[in-house]
Amino acid sequence: MDAVPNREIADMKGAAALPRKNGELVFDEAWQGRIFGMTVAMSHDACFAWRDFQSHLIDEIGHAERGGESTSYYERWLHAFEQLLADKGLLDAGALDERTREFESGRRDDVF
Amino acid sequence: MSGTHEHGHHHREPESVLSLRVRALESLLVEKKLVSSEAVDRVVAAYEQDIGPHNGAKVVARAWIDPAYRARLLADGTAAIEELGFGGVDLQVVENTPGVHNLVVCTLCSCYPHALIGLPPVWYKSFEYRSRAVREPRVVLREFGVDLPETTEIRIWDSSAELRYLVLPERPAGTERLAEAELAKLVTRDAMIGVAVVKPPAAAAR
Amino acid sequence: MNGIHDMGGMHGFGRVEREENEPIFHARWEGRVLGISRACSAQGIFNIDESRHAIERMAPVDYLSASYYERWLDRNVRLLVEKGVITREELERRMAQLADGKDPATPHSDPKLLDRMLRVTRERTPYRQPGPAPRFALGDRVLTRHDAPIGHTRLPRYARGKPGVIVRVHGTFIFPDTHAHGQGEQSHALYSVRFDAALLWGESAEPRAPVHIDLWERYLLPNAPARSTR
Repeated sequence: MDAVPNREIADMKGAAALPRKNGELVFDEAWQGRIFGMTVAMSHDACFAWRDFQSHLIDEIGHAERGGESTSYYERWLHAFEQLLADKGLLDAGALDERTREFESGRRDDVF
Repeated sequence: MSGTHEHGHHHREPESVLSLRVRALESLLVEKKLVSSEAVDRVVAAYEQDIGPHNGAKVVARAWIDPAYRARLLADGTAAIEELGFGGVDLQVVENTPGVHNLVVCTLCSCYPHALIGLPPVWYKSFEYRSRAVREPRVVLREFGVDLPETTEIRIWDSSAELRYLVLPERPAGTERLAEAELAKLVTRDAMIGVAVVKPPAAAAR
Repeated sequence: MNGIHDMGGMHGFGRVEREENEPIFHARWEGRVLGISRACSAQGIFNIDESRHAIERMAPVDYLSASYYERWLDRNVRLLVEKGVITREELERRMAQLADGKDPATPHSDPKLLDRMLRVTRERTPYRQPGPAPRFALGDRVLTRHDAPIGHTRLPRYARGKPGVIVRVHGTFIFPDTHAHGQGEQSHALYSVRFDAALLWGESAEPRAPVHIDLWERYLLPNAPARSTR
């Protein structure tokens, strides 16, 4: 996989712009970096075009703002990514809920 | 998103709902071979390093931790950064001390240590900064939120040749127990240009 | 040259404005201009001193109203035309074709060029070159020349004819004043020279705010009585 960042991803504009501070990407928590990495890695591997994800992200941000939700950027990113995976038939929402419960209960404990 | 929570019997830090969800997602995607965790790691590292001034921050953190490295860095910046795998620049490192604060500018164009801190921000290349940093550094620094006592000497470095300048900021108080990688996270691009100081962790977190 | 670019110490520009979450490029074309610039310099179409001087030669009004990358674009076009690589007419014609939805160019890959461009970003620029032994030493008092050269120079106007002190001897580097004008890579000693703020700006200077500039030996005259051998 090409380790050189794709400018199309790095330079998204407006509400979809990656949060930065002083020019640096900001991940307030580790999971934000992971979800960013997963989305980009899959796009690099041509599971979907970046434009597809970006339009889901923009939609999700718009939806959240209209609903007055106080969700963070990467929370919206996560929703957009899940929606994209579902639309593409790559992941079943039920399977994700189930796997989440397994992590919550401690039946699974992998750390990434 | 699932609204139910089952609390396990393990006594560990409660993990945020979001963090759990993302771990589950990665777990599934790895299982389906849609992603590898190594690929995720590489992506995050590449974006963080390419976009941010993390190279410079690593150099600063090493200098804070290792006095011998600090001495080598100040004597020959070019060779010292090559020790850490960074090249592509003829470098002069200038250190901040309690009595001295350094500020870097290029009045004639926009020369900047790209290899260590990325592409310069628009303000660094602006007429406002280029004209005023040499003339009224104390006022400009105050506009950036840095208020220095009159007794502090402000050394301005006008990057007029192919040498580039990097400020070695003062290590903030209360960071004695931090590991090198954690120290590096505190160092900002602005601190390495000289328009900011490095804040201690309690102040930096919001 | 006494160009508008030479703005150290100028008054009237106002507060430094900063943009939150500033993107690397504000528009896609800016990144393309950067890439084109790197491709040109990697192939030696123009050197860095020529490229800086080309920007300096913009009319002052144009310079002040252009954004940073607009100046780079102006520079690229100016030099590519001056070097006979393209003509302005060709450029206009191609713009008209693209506006009409026609693009005669065919994409191709050039791994050798790409490799050279990437190496440029990783390797130190080759500006440090052998040259004559430095005349000045650490601690020497110098006086900058009071020249107003027509061509490219890296002695800012605010530091002409000023007394300073050598605080570092950097070695020998390619001299921009000749390199920018096709006179080859003549190297001379380069120094870090420290100037007292009061001597630069007069009474309204801030206290304890010395300016350090990297200056070639050709810009400097001795400013101390002759010393006996050291």
